Amino acid sequence: MSSRNVSRLIVCARVLAVALFLVILLFPIFWTTTMAFKPAEEWAPTDGTTYWLPEDWTLSNFIRVLNIGDTGGFGGIIEAPLDATPSIIRSLIAGIGGTLLALVCGTLTAYGISRHRAGGRHHPFSILQMRMFPPIAVIVPILFLWTYLQLFDTVHGLALVYGAVTFPFVVWLMLSFFDEIPREIGEAARVDGCSRMGVFVKAILPLARNGLATTALFVFILNWSDFIIALSLTDANKTAPVFLNEITSASTGREFGPQAALGLILMLPPLVLAVFIQKHLVRGMTFGAIKR
Amino acid sequence: MNRDHAQKEDCSERPTIGSEPNGTHGLTAGSVNQAIPSKADQIFGRRLITPGILLMTLLIAFPTVVALYISLTAWSPTSGLSWYDAHESWIWFDNYAEAFSGRSLSILLRTAIITVVSVGLEFALGFVLALLFVEGFPGHRVVTVLILLPMMVVPAVAGFVFFLLLESSGPINIILGGLVPGDVQIGWLTDPHWTPVSVILVDVWQWTPLMFLILVAGMLAVPDDQQNAARILGASWFQRLRTVTLPLLKPIIIIALIIRAMEAFKIFDASWLLTQGGPGESSSTISVALYREAFINARWSYTAAVGILVMILVSIIAFQAVKPIERAQREA
Repeated sequence: MSSRNVSRLIVCARVLAVALFLVILLFPIFWTTTMAFKPAEEWAPTDGTTYWLPEDWTLSNFIRVLNIGDTGGFGGIIEAPLDATPSIIRSLIAGIGGTLLALVCGTLTAYGISRHRAGGRHHPFSILQMRMFPPIAVIVPILFLWTYLQLFDTVHGLALVYGAVTFPFVVWLMLSFFDEIPREIGEAARVDGCSRMGVFVKAILPLARNGLATTALFVFILNWSDFIIALSLTDANKTAPVFLNEITSASTGREFGPQAALGLILMLPPLVLAVFIQKHLVRGMTFGAIKR
Repeated sequence: MNRDHAQKEDCSERPTIGSEPNGTHGLTAGSVNQAIPSKADQIFGRRLITPGILLMTLLIAFPTVVALYISLTAWSPTSGLSWYDAHESWIWFDNYAEAFSGRSLSILLRTAIITVVSVGLEFALGFVLALLFVEGFPGHRVVTVLILLPMMVVPAVAGFVFFLLLESSGPINIILGGLVPGDVQIGWLTDPHWTPVSVILVDVWQWTPLMFLILVAGMLAVPDDQQNAARILGASWFQRLRTVTLPLLKPIIIIALIIRAMEAFKIFDASWLLTQGGPGESSSTISVALYREAFINARWSYTAAVGILVMILVSIIAFQAVKPIERAQREA
């Protein structure tokens, strides 16, 4: 066999292997997607058949979970309304609020560390350490505090915790962006008569705006993905991921179709935002430790 | 005295992960370029970090003090006392004594095993995938996006999806039944031998793409001329991998492994959503066990004690984990 044929064979084998990987990786997403478009008779079959693809494609799961119309009931049973919209809105508000808080505190801290060595050489690591604690280890005492401050089961209470939990992430990521800006720029602005805060706001922040936007999107995705904090700190005011996992039906006990529909809706924001941060995906996912 | 100290700190190598542009942070450059920070600079720096410190105090330091207090009592939300009156049921270190039982150790061990196996598999699979992929793969942009999709799935959704897939009559058992002779009835969610495997499966599914992404980025950054030089010298594909690519990738691999392990150690969503940590405690990780004690058994004082021990343990591990990250960063 000529070497050309061998290399062609190798390429074929590689394509096949990657294709196999892809099929396995994408199967769960395929299963959720199709589940979301199946009618109740197919996602909860009474005779045990498995429907690999929906036979009757329907939007009724989405209509039901977003409560945007009448689905007419399934098989004669009118189900209680299921409205995930408030939980999605809460997720958005808590996520955005937490992101803003973490971004303000984290950016100031990162700048202080990068340019003024504030807090001493161990400060960045004591901040990173916060990120390593399982949130549940501190949630019980936070519950005391939240009950006392009447923040339990509120969106702004949740946003506060989100801000604190993602703060270390912002510090580290912004540190990696600030360190890329030459010190001379700040020094030159100082010589030109800018105040210290002026240097930060007028000279450094505009240069770091791409990094800032990337960090903001990352933090929002982190907050949006939270499950355990919302599970512990809310009761009636659930966020969407918690709501999704608590949907049950009185008549069938399961609500896989609407759950899958909500799951698809929840996947959308990270997917859309990922387009904007793809250049910095590795950096973000490794806290700025790997920059490529 | 105070000033001396500040200056020393200034010149010492800052433990920041990140490249130091223009070497201004280095020892010599630092002492030449950078005057001793003026008093006003120091004050400004301190002001910058104050909001962050306040936030950390509110959400970490204060709760830790409360947790310390509660952990020495037998208080629970059902005891009818306000939490600040918990001292009426003072029991000293009983909670801590209980926390050092064999049961907690087995949960700790299980969490460690799940972490190591998950991260190990993610690395191995990510590495193989990256190798298959890296040199001139047809349609690599589209394929990369597809591979990264699982990473974008909200973990709580991933838990739900795998719950559907792993049911005893679910698609995974049906597919396995089609591949091997006989009827496959693996109790992914019910058999205590298989439930930890299911938790690992979810983590591997979700995070192998990240390892892949990091490794591909690293491999693409290996300079072509080094690869070509090795090729001209007659090195085989495997020799090039071992002597050129791997040594250059080592720092990235170390950072990726440590950061992924850090996150995997906290694992909660998959275990909780698949099996609530059960049956029994077969798939309980530290986070799940803590959640159960706090919200199902309502044993808050015990949860507080374990929480504090976990924080101490994590701090020790974190302290150890930081050194190789720093070293790897310097090599990179």
